This record gives sequence, C-alpha cells and structure tokens, in this order.
Amino acid sequence: MNIYLRELKANVKSLLIWSGAVVLFVLVGFSKFSAYEGNPELLAIFDSMPPALISAMELRAFNLTTVTGFLGLMFTYFSLMLAIAAGTWGADIIVKEERDRTVEFALTLPVTRARLITAKALAATTNSFILLLVTWASVLVGSMSYQTTPEFYQFLVYIMIALFILQLIFLSIGIFLGCAMKHYKKASSIMMFVLLQAYIVSMLAGLDQRLEFLRFITPFKYFNPARLLHESKFDPTSLLLAAAIIVVCLAGAYFTYQRRDLYL
Amino acid sequence: MKMNIFLHEIRRHKQSILTWSISLILLLFVFMAMFNSFASEAEVLNQTLAQMPKELLTAFGLDGVDMSTVLGFFSFVFLFCQICLAVQAASYGFGLVSVEETDLTADFLLAKPIGRGQILTSKFLAAFTGLTLTNAVVWIGSFVVIELFRDSRPYETNTLLLLLISLFFLQLFFLSFAILLSLLMKRVRSVNTAAMALAFGMYALSAFGGMLGDETFDLLTPFKHFDPNTIISQQAYELPLVMISVVIILLSVAGSYWLYLKRDIHSVN
Repeated sequence: MNIYLRELKANVKSLLIWSGAVVLFVLVGFSKFSAYEGNPELLAIFDSMPPALISAMELRAFNLTTVTGFLGLMFTYFSLMLAIAAGTWGADIIVKEERDRTVEFALTLPVTRARLITAKALAATTNSFILLLVTWASVLVGSMSYQTTPEFYQFLVYIMIALFILQLIFLSIGIFLGCAMKHYKKASSIMMFVLLQAYIVSMLAGLDQRLEFLRFITPFKYFNPARLLHESKFDPTSLLLAAAIIVVCLAGAYFTYQRRDLYL
Repeated sequence: MKMNIFLHEIRRHKQSILTWSISLILLLFVFMAMFNSFASEAEVLNQTLAQMPKELLTAFGLDGVDMSTVLGFFSFVFLFCQICLAVQAASYGFGLVSVEETDLTADFLLAKPIGRGQILTSKFLAAFTGLTLTNAVVWIGSFVVIELFRDSRPYETNTLLLLLISLFFLQLFFLSFAILLSLLMKRVRSVNTAAMALAFGMYALSAFGGMLGDETFDLLTPFKHFDPNTIISQQAYELPLVMISVVIILLSVAGSYWLYLKRDIHSVN
C-alpha cells in the first residue's frame, strides 16, 4: 500500500500533463466540429467516396455530421495518446528505480519483488484509469453543446471500454519490458519501437483489404470503432488476443523480475 | 569542437543509428512493395475524386495526392519516415545534455578543460552527424525502392529530391527544439517519453488540423511546414512556412547555448 501511494504521488505531474493534453485536444476538436454538424453537402460527398484511400483515414464508416460519427473519428487519436501514456508509464514505473538509483533501497524493504511489481502495476493502472476518466469527462463536456442521442452515450461507453483495454495492453507490455530488459535504457527505447510499429502497421492495415491480416499484430486495430458503433459488440478474437498479451506480459514480468540481476 | 567528445557521442549513438536505419529501410521496402497492386486500383479512385469540390479535398488532405503515381504513393510512406525521423531527432535532442545529468557524469564532463560552449557544439554536431547518416540511408533507400517497384512508371526526380531535402530541416527542427526544451526543464525523466510526446504531438496537430481544415495549426507544426502533399503538388516548398521552421531552429540553437552556458548542474551530493 505504501508503495502504491508513493507511486501515485510520484506520477501526479505526468498525469496532469497528459490530462491537460487530452482535455485540450478534446475541446479544440469539438469546437471545430461545429463546422461539420448537420452539413448535408459533406454527407453527400462521403457517400460517393470510394473505399480504398478513405478507409485508411477511417472516414468511411462514420457520418461525420453527427457527434457520434465525429467521436468515432477521434477514437484513433484517443487510442494513440492513451497508448503512449500507458506504455511509457508501464516501462517507467519499473525502470525508474534503477535510473534514479533507488532500486537497492526499494528491494531492501521487507517486501517481496512480486509484491513490489503488483503495487507498481496497480499504481500505473490507476493512473491510466484516471486519464481515461478525464478523457470521458472531457468528451461529455465537449459534446454538451451539440445534439446527442442515446446511441451516442452507448457508443461512448463502448469506446471507453476499448480504450481501457488498449491501455492495459500497452501498460503490460511496458511493465514486461521494464522487468525483462537488462539495461534500463533498453526498455523505454524498445517500448518506443513497439508503439511506432503498432501505429504504422495499423495505418498499413487500413490501406488495403488484402492487408487485413495485419490487424492482428497491432493492438490499435483490435477495436474497430465503426464496428463498435454499428454492431455494438467487441470482436471476440481481438478480445482473446488482448487478454493473451496482457496475461503473457504480466506473467513474464513477474517471472523475469524475480531473477533479475540489477543494473547498478 | 572537441574530437574525442564527438567520437564518444557517435559511438554512443551507434546502435541507435543502426536500428533506426534498418527499420526505415524495412518500412520503405514493405510499403513500396505494395505500390503496384495499389496503383491500378487508385486510378479508379482518382476519377471519382476528380468530381468532388476542391475545398473539401483540401480539407481532407486529399488534394494533390494521386495515389496512382509513384510520388503520390511514396508521399504516404514518406509521412511515416518523417514521423520516425522526428522521434529519433527528438530523442537525441532530449538526451543530448540531460543524459549526463541522469547518469551523474555531468560534473565529470564539466571538470574537463573544455568550455561548455565547446561541449555543446561537439555533442550537437555528433547528434546531427548521426541523424544525417540515418537520413542518407533514407535517401539511398528511397531511390532504390522506387527503382525496384515503380514498374516503369515515371516520376519527378526533382520533386523527390525536394522531399528528401526537407527531412534535413525536419531533423534539425526536432533536434534543436528538443535540446531547448530539455534545457528548459529541470530534469528530463524519460528521454524517449519526451521524444514520443513531442513528435507525436506535432504529428497529431498536423493530422488533426488537416482534417479540420484549420490553417492556424499549419503554423505550429513542422509536419505542415514540410507537408509532402503540398511539396508534390506544387513541386516547391511553401516558403513562408519553411521560414518559420528555420527561425525556430535558429532561435532554439541560440537559446540552447544561452541556457546551457549558465545552467545549474545537479551533481552527486
């Protein structure tokens, strides 16, 4: 519990910065949305657009003239931001003890390594969850001045669940890297590559039908906002994959950290 | 400039330069390999796009992208190269001086009989050399993959050169701006986090601004200053925007020297 609270406190600043970025992003986005709302000309254009290029930009499946459609479009940006935050928090929370040379102190406490990781992982999860709530709240505030439907709120819940799972995926990857990498600098640079790769592959996968299979290697494609909106259900394969990644990463994290040779 | 600091820095970045170069080559290769199958489909797409009002195409950044041409398709890959190079440049920039402080080697370095200005110059040049090496790999890689996959479709060599030259400015922008930011901070906790946030933040501004068709975002983000679509359609840079980047680079470099010369350095005990 002490470790948990300490970690929460240590991360307040970072959480505030990320929250600020998210709030700013949502507010700017929604204020710009006024240009789209109820613009029938725009709708006609989207209807006549052919799939290939537009699907890469995720424009196709949404009616951009409604708040619901606009939210679907923003999903990509939300997932990118929250994933970067979660991934770096996950790696950082483990790695920072070695970076700041406090790891010897932390490990001499009468706490097992496993409990240390548990406390840290929970703290990082709490942080991610708070950031998610901030996102949620700012979307609610941002959408207030527009006409919303019950469908919108339901979609919002689905999106938030999807975002939370995404956060957990990247968080566990981060924690695993933090625990498993020999040198602390490795963990965060590999995390960076994982994030970049996931993003680029997700753009690739949207480009062409034949590249559909790519969506399995990038968590950003596990949740398709268009399907969440129209079918109101999650893709079971993706959920299974997400669960597998989280479980494997966390198990790996505990396993490797138990026998970790510290970098001093 | 001190040669031994320079060489030490280059050695420090060696592995990272290698990894970035290989990933970028892979990226270029994988993307351009799909060009052929994509190009025929894109020709149909173009006919439909041609019937749409111009303002809307501009708003969605579809203006001037002809995915059936070599460069039109290349511009898509190029954007990802830009993002990668920006992350790399920003991470070198954020780490340049701050790494000495986190590794507690700053007092050792500063006790050497070298001025702080010289230290910064050597480190800056070393980081820039590293970035230029990666850039050179991207240049060669671009020409090679285009030749491999263009399937005798024509392309403008000059425009391609313009695109590739813009990478140089983009790298300088992120390198120098990140150094300035790192010196404004008391302590850089995680170099990579900061670098990702800066590069992706700028990218999101550009993508989001493009989607909303808002011109004010164009001023803020270097991704818009060197927007590949604009460069391809106009076959020239948008000079006023490029000037903004250049001015920011100059100001950041000047500011960095000023801040570093009088920086209070936290040492062991």
